[in-house]
This record gives sequence, structure tokens and C-alpha cells, in this order.
Amino acid sequence: MINRDVKSLQRKPDVVDVVIVGMGASGGTAAKVLSEAGLTVVGLDRGPWLSPQTHFSGDELKFLNRDYLGPDPALNPRTVRHDLNSKAEITSFSPVPQLVGGGTVHWAGWVPRPMPSDFKQRSLHGDIEGASLVDWPITYDELEPYLSKIEWEFGCAGLARSNKFEPPRSREYPMPPLPPTAFAAKFYEGCERLGINAYPFPIALASTSYKGREPANHTGFWNQFGDPTLMRSTTLTSFIPDALSTGRFELRPDCYVREVTVGSEGRAKGVVYVDAEGNEFEQEAKAVVLCLGAIESARLMLMSKSRYFPEGLANSSGYLGKNATFHETMWTVGLFDKDLHDPLYGYSGHQMNGGSFEFYETDESRGHIGGSVIASCTVAQPINWLHPGRPMWGQAGKDADRDFYNHAMAVELILHDMPQETNQVDLDPEVTDGWGLPVARITHKPHENDIRLATWQTNKNMEILEAAGAYRVLPTHLEKSTGNSFHQHGTARMGDNWSTSVLNEWCQAHDVDNLFVMDGSFFPTSTGVNPTLTIMAQAWRASEYLANIYARGRAE
Amino acid sequence: MVCRAHWRVIQPRVAVDAPERLFFDEHQWQTIEDATARIIPTDHQPGAREAAVVRYIDRYLSGIEYIYAAADGSGFLELDGHPAQSWTRRVEALRCAYSEGVRDLDRLSNEIFDSPFTELDEAKQDAVLVTLSGAPKPEPLGPGRAESIGTILQSASDHRLTFFNLLALHTRQGFYGDPFYGGNRDRIGWEVIGFPGPTSLRDTNDCSFSLESTYVTGKAWEDLIPHLRESAPLSTN
Ligand SMILES: Cc1cc2nc3c(=O)[nH]c(=O)nc-3n(C[C@H](O)[C@H](O)[C@H](O)COP(=O)(O)OP(=O)(O)OC[C@H]3O[C@@H](n4cnc5c(N)ncnc54)[C@H](O)[C@@H]3O)c2cc1C
Repeated sequence: MINRDVKSLQRKPDVVDVVIVGMGASGGTAAKVLSEAGLTVVGLDRGPWLSPQTHFSGDELKFLNRDYLGPDPALNPRTVRHDLNSKAEITSFSPVPQLVGGGTVHWAGWVPRPMPSDFKQRSLHGDIEGASLVDWPITYDELEPYLSKIEWEFGCAGLARSNKFEPPRSREYPMPPLPPTAFAAKFYEGCERLGINAYPFPIALASTSYKGREPANHTGFWNQFGDPTLMRSTTLTSFIPDALSTGRFELRPDCYVREVTVGSEGRAKGVVYVDAEGNEFEQEAKAVVLCLGAIESARLMLMSKSRYFPEGLANSSGYLGKNATFHETMWTVGLFDKDLHDPLYGYSGHQMNGGSFEFYETDESRGHIGGSVIASCTVAQPINWLHPGRPMWGQAGKDADRDFYNHAMAVELILHDMPQETNQVDLDPEVTDGWGLPVARITHKPHENDIRLATWQTNKNMEILEAAGAYRVLPTHLEKSTGNSFHQHGTARMGDNWSTSVLNEWCQAHDVDNLFVMDGSFFPTSTGVNPTLTIMAQAWRASEYLANIYARGRAE
Repeated sequence: MVCRAHWRVIQPRVAVDAPERLFFDEHQWQTIEDATARIIPTDHQPGAREAAVVRYIDRYLSGIEYIYAAADGSGFLELDGHPAQSWTRRVEALRCAYSEGVRDLDRLSNEIFDSPFTELDEAKQDAVLVTLSGAPKPEPLGPGRAESIGTILQSASDHRLTFFNLLALHTRQGFYGDPFYGGNRDRIGWEVIGFPGPTSLRDTNDCSFSLESTYVTGKAWEDLIPHLRESAPLSTN
């Protein structure tokens, strides 16, 4: 048992088996698997350790407009440019909140599985000009048992056989779906008219009593809000408590890690962090696991320069930070005539519940390769309700809200974007954060295929809304990536080839055998589904390897 | 230093429905009140003026006391550490933007119509806002396919916005935000658009506010998903 009080007394806490940086989706998973396997683990997160019942509510100003869960745009800015020669501007790009539980605390919780094709994009499509397609070093079948594990351990609701395109699965869903919302029913209607297979999208929540959790939150304050109940599956309320109950895991919130230190022979020695009071500590460990999210993990590794790694930790390939993909979310909103349609209550439910894989696999007659999931989703709460091109003021603005707020819904696509070497995360040469450290600079320009896919699918989404009877449809197009999906991947690709990838198939750095990166950084290509189920499944798989094979091998 | 998880709940200077001005002077208050009333006008139903949007903005600008309500609506959180410093600077920047914004409104009003903003009629105030925004006054929505726009981030922070965009965003916030922050008086904003809304933040914290009755029940999944009709019957919801 590690004594929590010790840390405030010493600047060099006792060495542990593993230190994990970032306590979100992947970090929470790693903490559970590693501590349950018998290792001593310290978990660090730069954000606070909040309690659902004390801290969460349906307060739109607080959660959506005033970044209560962070990141504060003034303290943690990022910069973005669209090609390597432009100057980057300060913007909030992919502002995933920072707190214990990470992105799972306030996420929507869509957990569709990736498809077998996602793991072999290069074999399927060959070289696409301007893109750096590769196959994953693992297959769907290798990941499948872990997808099931996460669905069952974390909790997920779905309906077997409802998705015509369902990839093979070894277990059914642990819970049935909730009833559809009114807007989801409209989506089913539109899809049926067009012969599209819509089905209740799997979502990470308790739809029935499950592991001491109840389906207790029907406020509609869901996506981007913390859930005051235990209904939503979050690592804050599941895997992290599991890890704590082993007695081998210590969680330190409000600790900002700024460097991974490197010892003799170029192995990771530990991490340096600053606590809320501004005190600096070095936590040494036999292995270091990075779970900061794909932007921040790349940034931390790039900041961790040493004699062994002058270009950033584990970056002998020069590929660290490259091939970043961000899944722009493309919304098409449908407004329905209130005299002809019952209300859609586009702010009810759990962000979405009908989705489709109909257009997921490549059909070259569409003019692009790959495809994306689509789903019907809420337009959300009144201040920020989704209305692309909203009339900003005056009578037209008021009428738009009054006439359509209760009669609006969105169909969303998650852009399956192509990896490109020039789309990358590096350190901004000028802008620093509230701690004086260089911020992440994003360079991102959509690939031609991204634009074609987005346009084609947006047209299809307009047709669905029109088939459902929409009065007006409001499409969006891909000008530039804004990071609005909050999905981040690819900055430290897994691969078998040391000269073109950073990690091996166990998320272990090629250059540094005791360094693992388990967040979305490891994605070789982006997939067309929400990434977190895949991230957590692979984090589980890699943690098992770390605990059962790597750690044992080294101990013997 | 108190970490975010342990910020205390404090009672703010004035009660939710108190009329006091905390930041604006009288002229600023009136100017902003008039401007918000052009952003969300009063018609056969109330608008920004009736919803006390100006009071919402005034409280926001008054310091860092009204930044985050406690989850159960029992008071506001006492910020500390980095967030407190950052919000102090952010509010300072907003104050400057509003003080300058009021001066700009008057300057434009004087240039175009020879009177300060508050003395103009509504049509003239609109003309000033059109100049300030640099875009025509928005048109009513028609049927069909709208012109597509570039993707956006849904959660809108007001960090680094220009005055007109601040005014438009804060007017929405004061009209549709929880009444605990000083606007949306008597839940007027929610009533206008038919959002049922909770009676208090507490109802969203204990989840007694529920929209479950709006779900579509009583339909079998087979009714919604044609291919399930062909296979064996499954569950109902
Ligand atoms: C509003 C919203 C809705 C979403 N909905 C979905 C969805 O429906 N389905 C889906 O699959 N995905 C969704 N996502 C994305 C999902 O949240 C992420 O994919 C997921 O959380 C990524 O997991 P991670 O472990 O890589 O990082 P995170 O969960 O982001 O965790 C990273 C953690 O690292 C910490 N950290 C960062 N830097 C440091 C540092 N220097 N020192 C210490 N700690 C640090 C952060 O505070 C954070 O807690 C959503 C995201 C948002 C914001």
C-alpha cells in the first residue's frame, strides 16, 4: 500500500513499477489492468479529481461556454496552421477536457466497433497519392477479445444483429439499447425510405441495472456535461476505482508532467511533474506509460529531449508527431416544419441513438475510398444548439430559435481522414502555456479524399433528412480541420518497421523498451468510427503484455 | 491553494433576482440593454430586455464571483489558483471589450445619426449594428438546402472574440442560460422556444429533471429496422 501523505514530504517519491501519465480513457484502463496484475502503479493527471454528484449538473454556461472541465484557452492554448509554410494561429483545437477520467467524463459514449478493413487500409487500397496509408500491425481478430472485454467491463448498450454490417463478435452486448428518441425515430424513417440500414448505435452507458449502476440520467444534459449519476461509463467511476481498490495504485490529480527523464542506456527513468502548488517532483518507475491523448503525448515526448534523444524521446525515426488524424465531425442539420411534424426534442436522450454503417466500406463509384459511420444526434441545449449558419441576431435569429429549436435534429458523420506525413503535431516555436512550456502546434490540411468523402456523405445525409421530411437542411463542408470531433490519433504510429513508426504492436517504443504510449497516438490510420473503444481495447491488450510478458521477462 | 475539486461554495454579493448594477455605469447598462434588445428583440413574446440579459452580462463582468455555479445551485464556486488568475485576466479583457464597445456604438451612432445609441429608434440601432458587424442584417430562413458552411466547434468560448460577436453570444447566453446566472428571468428564454428546462440547477444535479417521457416507447425494434422483420423477432423496447 502506498501512503498518500508521503508525496507532499518528498520531492522524489519511492520508485514504483509503473508511472502512468494521463488518467483518461487509456490511462484509466492501464491503471486497472496493471494494478490488478500485481504491479505498483502511480497515476498522474494534470486535472482535478472530481466527484460526479458533487460537481456535475446540467449547467450549459459552465460546461460548454466557460470550460469548467478545461482546458482554459488562455492557460492551455494550441496553435494551428494549414501547411508547413504558414504561421500558426492560436486556437482551441480539439479541446478535450483535462481531469481524472479524461475524455470519458463528459463524452457522448458512442462505442461502435472498428471494421476488419480498418486494420488493412494499405493492402486494400495500395498507395494513395499524398497519403501515407499503412496496415496496422494487428488485425481485427487480435483486438476482438479486448473489444468485448471493454464492452462488458465498462458497460455498453446495443442490439445484436440490428447492424447488418456488424463485424464478427465473440459476445453479445451486455445491455439492451434505450428506447429511441423522437429525432432518432425520424432518422429511422428517413433511412427506411432510402433503404439504408439504421440501427441503435452502441453506447457506453447503463441502460439497465449494471454493476451497481442505474439508468438514472434522462436530463438530456449529456454530451459535454459531466454525469452526476453512474449511468455513463467513465473511467473516473469504474476502472480507476477498480485500480484504487487493489491497494497498489496511487492517484495524484493536479500534477502536470513536463518531461520524461532518460537514464543510462537511453531508457526511461521516470517523469518530472509540477503539482498544484508549483512544487516539482520526479517520480521514478521501471516503466513509463503515456496516456495524455495523441496531441499531448507527442508534445511531451518532443519536450523530453536528452543526449540520447535530441529530437525528442523515442524519435530516432523522425516520425514522432507525424501522420496526425483528427476525424472532423461533419454535421448536417434538418429543420422540420412545426405545423407538419411532432416535436423532435432534439435535446433529449443521450446525444444520439440511431446510426448506420451502410456507407462504411469502399465503393469506388462514389469517387473516394473509405467511408464513415453516420448517426442521428441531438442539436443540444439552447445556447449552443447546432445551427450551421445561424442567423446571429434580430427577428430572423429569434424566429429561427422559436420556430425550429423543438423541430431540429442532426445527422453526423465522423470523417475517416487519410494519414499524411505533413499533418503533424510539433512544438510551437513562440507560444507558451501558463507554465512557460511550448504549446502543441498542429499542422493540418485535409486530403483530397477527405474532401470528397465529406461532400459525398454530406449529400447523402441531406437526402436522409429530406426523406424524413425536413423543411430546410443545413450542411457543413470541410474547409479546414477544427478538431471538433475531439478525436486524436496517429502521432506515434505502431508498426513493424523501426524506421517509419514509433511504437510496436504492444504500444512499446521501438527506441525505449520501458516506454509505452497507449492513447490514440498509436493508430496507424484513423478508422471511420469513434476511437475510444479501440483505444481502450488496445490499452488493455498492451497493459496485459506489459504486466504479464514484459515485466516478468525483466524480473527474471 | 485550493484545488478545483475542493473549491468552496460561496454566496455572491447580490441575490439572483436583485436589480443592482455591479460593473456597468448607467449609460453602459442602457446601451448594452438596448443593443441586446436588438439581438433578441421583443415581439408578441418577450426578448432580451425582459429576460434581463444586461444583468447577466453585468454580473459576468463584475469579477470572478459569478463564473461557475455550484452543481446543486446552492451558490457559486470560489475559484483559486491558476484558474482564478486566468479568469481575472479574461474578465478584465471582456470589461475592456465592453467599455470600448459601448464607445464604438456611440461613435458610430453619432457619425451616422448624430445621436448616441440609446436615443436612436430601433431601425437606426439596427443600422448601427449592421455597420458594427460588417454584415447585412440576417434574413428569415426559407425552405430547401442552405448554403453549406465550414465546420465549427460546438462549444463556444468567448475568449478572443470581437465586440459584436461577444454581444451576440452573451445575449444568447443571458437569454437561454440557467436563470441562476442573472439572465433568462422567469425562464422567459426557454418558454419562447419551448425548451422545458429544469426548475433549478439542483434538478439537473439530482436528475429529477427528466425528458424520458419524450422517448418513443411502445414500438418494437422490428418496426424501425426493416431487416429485423425478416429474421426472428427480437426484443421490444
Ligand atoms: C465532448 C466529447 C465527446 C466525445 N464523445 C466521444 C464518443 O462518443 N465516442 C468516442 O469514442 N470518443 C468520444 N470522445 C473522444 C474521447 O473522449 C477520446 O477519444 C478519449 O478520451 C481519448 O482517450 P485518451 O486516453 O487518449 O485521452 P484522454 O481521455 O483525453 O485523457 C488524457 C488525460 O491526460 C491528462 N494530461 C494531458 N497532459 C498531461 C500532462 N502533461 N500531465 C499530466 N496529465 C496530462 C489530461 O488531463 C487527461 O485527463 C469525445 C470527446 C469529447 C470532448
